Amino acid sequence: MSGNGARAVLDRTADRMVHATAVERLAIAVASTLLALALGAVVVAASGYDAVEFVSSLAYGAFGSKSNVAFTLRQSTMLIIAGVAVAVAFRAGVFNIGVQGQFVVGGFATSVTILFLAPYLPTGTVGGVLLIVFGTIAAILAGGAYAALPGLMKAYADANEVITTIMLNFIASGVVFYLVDSQLRPSGAAAPNTEQFPDYVELPSLVFDSSSFSVVGLGVALATVIVVAVVMSRTRFGYDLVTSGYQESAAAYSGVDPKRTVVTTMTFSGMVAGLTGAMFAIMILGYYSDPATFPRFGFDAIAVSLLAANNPLGVVPAGILFGGLDAGGQYIGFTLDVPSELVDGVVGLVVLFVATPELFRMAGRRTGLGGDRK
Amino acid sequence: MSDTQVPAVDLDGITKRFGDVVANDGVDLSLEKGSVHALVGENGAGKTTLMSVLYGLYEPDGGTISVDGEPREFDSPRDAIDAGVGMIHQHFQLVDTMTVVQNVVLGHEPAERGLVDEGSARRDIEEICATYGFDVDEHLDTRVEDLGVGVQQRVEIVKSLYRGADVLVLDEPTAVLTPQEVEGLFDVMTELTERGRSLIFITHKLDEALAVADHITVLRDGESVGTVEASETTREELARMMVGRDVLFDYPARETSPGAVTLGVDDLRVEDDRGLEQVGGVDLEVREGEVFGVAGVDGNGQAELVEALTGLRSAESGTVTFDGRDVTDASRRERIDAGIAYVPEDRQEEGLVQDYDLVRNALLGNQTVAPYVENGFVDWGAVRTHAEDIVEQYDVQPPNAEAEAGSLSGGNQQKFVVGRELEHQPDLVVASHPTRGVDIGSIEFIHERLFEMRDAGMAVLLVSSKLDEVQKLSDRIAVMYEGEFVGMVDPDEVTEEELGLLMAGRSPDSGGASAEASADAPPESVVDDGESTSDGGVES
Repeated sequence: MSGNGARAVLDRTADRMVHATAVERLAIAVASTLLALALGAVVVAASGYDAVEFVSSLAYGAFGSKSNVAFTLRQSTMLIIAGVAVAVAFRAGVFNIGVQGQFVVGGFATSVTILFLAPYLPTGTVGGVLLIVFGTIAAILAGGAYAALPGLMKAYADANEVITTIMLNFIASGVVFYLVDSQLRPSGAAAPNTEQFPDYVELPSLVFDSSSFSVVGLGVALATVIVVAVVMSRTRFGYDLVTSGYQESAAAYSGVDPKRTVVTTMTFSGMVAGLTGAMFAIMILGYYSDPATFPRFGFDAIAVSLLAANNPLGVVPAGILFGGLDAGGQYIGFTLDVPSELVDGVVGLVVLFVATPELFRMAGRRTGLGGDRK
Repeated sequence: MSDTQVPAVDLDGITKRFGDVVANDGVDLSLEKGSVHALVGENGAGKTTLMSVLYGLYEPDGGTISVDGEPREFDSPRDAIDAGVGMIHQHFQLVDTMTVVQNVVLGHEPAERGLVDEGSARRDIEEICATYGFDVDEHLDTRVEDLGVGVQQRVEIVKSLYRGADVLVLDEPTAVLTPQEVEGLFDVMTELTERGRSLIFITHKLDEALAVADHITVLRDGESVGTVEASETTREELARMMVGRDVLFDYPARETSPGAVTLGVDDLRVEDDRGLEQVGGVDLEVREGEVFGVAGVDGNGQAELVEALTGLRSAESGTVTFDGRDVTDASRRERIDAGIAYVPEDRQEEGLVQDYDLVRNALLGNQTVAPYVENGFVDWGAVRTHAEDIVEQYDVQPPNAEAEAGSLSGGNQQKFVVGRELEHQPDLVVASHPTRGVDIGSIEFIHERLFEMRDAGMAVLLVSSKLDEVQKLSDRIAVMYEGEFVGMVDPDEVTEEELGLLMAGRSPDSGGASAEASADAPPESVVDDGESTSDGGVES
């Protein structure tokens, strides 16, 4: 009967999806990126632009030169840390859409800490390291505290965290702008910027010789990934958190306090988001500014995390892919006369294609892993 | 109803299995045209499964369905609807934010050149309402969420009639209604049968079946116990049929006598999520080496009582003591650590994380227990060993600790949960419906484990709606009805009829006495525990 046939097919495909290996999934991700680029090229050509130049510029902008690679890695660093912040919360079934706000607040805490402590600490490398450490700690604390707010509101006032975190993004942006503009702007300066950090407060630009990217920053991102992955898989806290995400009633049954878990999850997620802000202020800016002008790492991080199936380890390749697309897209914007909407559209196409792994895993399996056969 | 030789619906030998569990075993049911046929039985007896087979939701493993004398095979509810079979689910299938008209025509919109012809739908609905005397047409443009539950139910019925249903299956329709609304529903049912529709009425309330049905079929453990004429049966006969004793093998008599009080509950009151009082002043004591059974039809406060005892729900008032300590406000975690094990009613939602393998499930509830967790870090090796031990000792099939919990059959899931909960030498085991949906072999196994716990001196609180189970396992039985203990009985002396009637909120003696009266004054005739007044086992 046709009903049975359809059910059997569904059974088989589900089975296949479940058993796709990591290598297969990576192969599919690459295949879908290429397919999306091919499709994007068609769209670009149809719009009357040079598709070959478009795609080659995208690739060149992402990894065509040493400085372009540095830019890709810089964006990736931010997206990886922010992506981990999102993944932590999503894994626990808490939707922290406020990573952007926590990142803004974290970076602000770093900036204030560095600017206020600098006069009291020695100059030079020692002072620089101390200021970076204190600034980073301040960012982690501030990001955690700022995220704890919506956590508390969800746990004890039943306020939907999606809404509160989005609202708190605006509040963070507005308040930080006010404070930077009215309190920290050097008198006479036109732009709403703080003073520059002392020039010894910077991460060493090893390998890439870039003023806004340091391998140390990428190292911090990777270390964050590892720490979070270990916490999630090997600690009681992580088990409670992940169990709450899978099945809240089972978590409650096992003695996990659902309200407390919401608060601790948000705090943990916000701490990582705050770290993103520290890296942004120290590694990229070297001062602080109007948050409305900042890149929207906190929002892109949601897509990064989802692409990684909210797995902290998966955030690394997902973050690099997004970083590369971002860098390539920006490069096209500078060099080609292509509307930015078209660039965004093609980038979106890539994300869409990669983010439907189920679809591609199914299709890949059916055609013998999309490569054996055409 | 003399010329209705061909039954409206004829179910012949319906068998439905879920894994090892036989939910329906060769059930026959013949629905006479223009009549109400009640299907009664305990929760889990297979009523809803049987009706889901009829409605095309499940494919039967055996047996045939005939509608109007014609054999039919339903692959989906759509087929059943086309054959004139409609179902009113316990949880209404209405879209709250849409109006009554929109809900009624949903999926069957009369279309004219691709546009919904609401005018014709309106006329049809008004005609149906006029025919049956429904008030639904007064609310045609009201959104469903603004209607009372009783009206929503009538909207569901109109929806089925609109789709041309001649046979309506009502799945526990009274469960959500107030007594007044129940009266209204019965009027509607009478109206329907007078106009030639045939109804199957699922309930576990005997009075309702007797009041409104022409025939009554009793299901027990997936089998039909028999079909009787409503006019020729009695509540007692139905109670006996419904709860009749299974032949379970004989358990060894207890060797120890109960010791000190492990769990003490004093005037406990608990509310549900909606703020309605579900437990209204319960007193009980469970002693070391004793099984205390709580019998009752589901939904009489047992779930809330268990949650309050295990720390999943806070009590409104009253006290709970455990090993002499007041734990009324203790968290779930504190109670686990103090030695209260809990076999939950819902292993799918609570007892196991379906997507976890058994290793990760073995940690569930043990997050503070060494050696599995030390200094906040999980020792997965130790947890794995633990999981493998449970799998081996509790005969979990397949014997693979890396199997996902969701892939196991109900019986094996339950054995794993029981194993995990009992492995830590708790002082108290709270077991809620520990054998629901579990195959016979596993039932025996789980019962034996509970006896071992008792003999090892642990206190066991057993909540079950299976009377044979409660009677077999318990040293004392409290019957819970509408949030209170209405009777305290000795399992060796009480009869199933008496238990069944107590569970229905009635004193066995007074038969027709109202439920409220018997809840306030426990029937002394069955209080035969000797020490029930002194140990606080009965609310008096």
